[in-house]
Amino acid sequence: MTRTLGGAAMISKRLSRSTLPAFACALVNFVAAQGLILAGVTWPARAISAPGTLIVVHLLVIGWLSLLMLGALFQFVPVITCRPLPSQPLALATVAILEAGLAGMVCGFIGFGGGSRELAIALPSGGAVVIVGVLLGCWNIGVPLFRSRPLPLPGRMILSGLIFLILTVTLGLSFALALTVAPLTPNLAPLMSSVGDHAIAGLGGWFTLTAMGVGYKLFPMFMLAPEERGITGECVHVLGAAGFALAIGAGVARIWLTAEPLRIAQWTGYVAIGLAVTLYLWDIVRIYRTRRRALIEAHNRAVSGAFGFLGIATMLAAVFLATGHPDVGSPLVVFLLIFGWLTGLALTQLYKIVPFLTWLSRYGSHLGRGGVVPRVQDLVRERRGRRWFALYFLGVLLGAVSVLLRSGLAFRFDFALVTISTLGLITEYWRAWRGHYARPPNSRPDAPPFLPDPRGSP
Amino acid sequence: MGDGSALNREHVLNALHEVIDPELGYNIVDLGLLYELEVEGGLVKITMTMTTPGCPAQDYILSGVHERSKSLPGVTDVEVNLVWLPAWSPRLMTPAAKAHFGVRD
Repeated sequence: MTRTLGGAAMISKRLSRSTLPAFACALVNFVAAQGLILAGVTWPARAISAPGTLIVVHLLVIGWLSLLMLGALFQFVPVITCRPLPSQPLALATVAILEAGLAGMVCGFIGFGGGSRELAIALPSGGAVVIVGVLLGCWNIGVPLFRSRPLPLPGRMILSGLIFLILTVTLGLSFALALTVAPLTPNLAPLMSSVGDHAIAGLGGWFTLTAMGVGYKLFPMFMLAPEERGITGECVHVLGAAGFALAIGAGVARIWLTAEPLRIAQWTGYVAIGLAVTLYLWDIVRIYRTRRRALIEAHNRAVSGAFGFLGIATMLAAVFLATGHPDVGSPLVVFLLIFGWLTGLALTQLYKIVPFLTWLSRYGSHLGRGGVVPRVQDLVRERRGRRWFALYFLGVLLGAVSVLLRSGLAFRFDFALVTISTLGLITEYWRAWRGHYARPPNSRPDAPPFLPDPRGSP
Repeated sequence: MGDGSALNREHVLNALHEVIDPELGYNIVDLGLLYELEVEGGLVKITMTMTTPGCPAQDYILSGVHERSKSLPGVTDVEVNLVWLPAWSPRLMTPAAKAHFGVRD
């Protein structure tokens, strides 16, 4: 494939206009959820059915992780498919629709908790709006993926993740309808016992499969390691996707049917998920070991903490399932997956993605035109980032111990470390966006950006 | 070029050291992204690649190469051809770039 550039200068169309707004909204939701946890509204050991818990959980999984993931995919999918999104305005609309739907759901949870039937109806209404946003987002992301068949492994994993996203929100809406629309309650109420499958579909099928797929492209790219993952990558995808499908499908079917094969299918699914995660972590170690770039950046060092928590969460889930105590262990496992694995991954990768998007939108057009242009690395101060990441993962680790010990007070103290480090990292993202570090130290604010000699070492 | 000598390949190559890959933070010449560079009178013909297909910075890098080349005295036109084969590999870096990144052969 050859592309020729001649004549007039080009203006990049590769910058997604919806990604940074999505990230900004996601971070606001994340801080709001953390504020509620610190205020004592809920903590991981509290019942999932408590309205405060439902509000915080949905702020985290829709407002924070889903908005972040969709925003990242709006930028990332055109990279792996070399095709633009069908509609940038609709990508931006997706962010607004999801925010509106989430606001409706939060109102519904408040009404549900306060016994207000009028307000509670906002729950299914908000859920329906969320589904509209999700379908729009899936269409925008799915079209370039579908048109780029045969897809590389990351693309196929993202496609699988989108299917689980639709499954997750559909299950969620059925719960909302069962809780709030009386005529539907008799038919839908039994589904309420599949809340665990709803969580597996969201945290596993949607977030984890998609994050794994994105990671398969980004980590080799950042570390100059071989991108081809061979049979290991294929096994991770097939075992993961089939495992989640089997576990969730059999889990939901067991609500109505008690056949032994369904129980076996569900357990087969769990085993397949465990194998997929194990293989993935092994493959990630292989990427680190075979990288050609010896000196790696802060985000790629820090993300090892997220991988560690994925491994710990998977092992704990296996132990709790094998010993017949999944309900006892689920708060800890869910906490580790949301904060240790998914948020750890998100915060570390934002430390690279935000400066990169900043570079594209602010500095890219100056390249080759005689002005001084910073590198992406010049937009951050890695030493500060490393400290915040260390504090963040320490907070998660201590918080997990407090959940294990069922100590709510200790958890809030530990969680303060998580919040402080999150706010510290958000400040660093903001500084990167504002070009705070892109000038020599002690220079005047209006001094030109700093450009190290690109021929030499920084 | 300031000495009034005729435009040649070295002049262009030297100027393109100022164009960086923003993610890696190093100039595209030493990264090995330039596959061919020909100077025919005032016409500069460049064949190059990116470190990965679909790189979001691709358009800026191509534009930067185009603009930097065109800014040289004596250049009347610039052609930049983007190719994906052979695929870029860290092996194509110069020893200086390999040393900078600690690239292992």
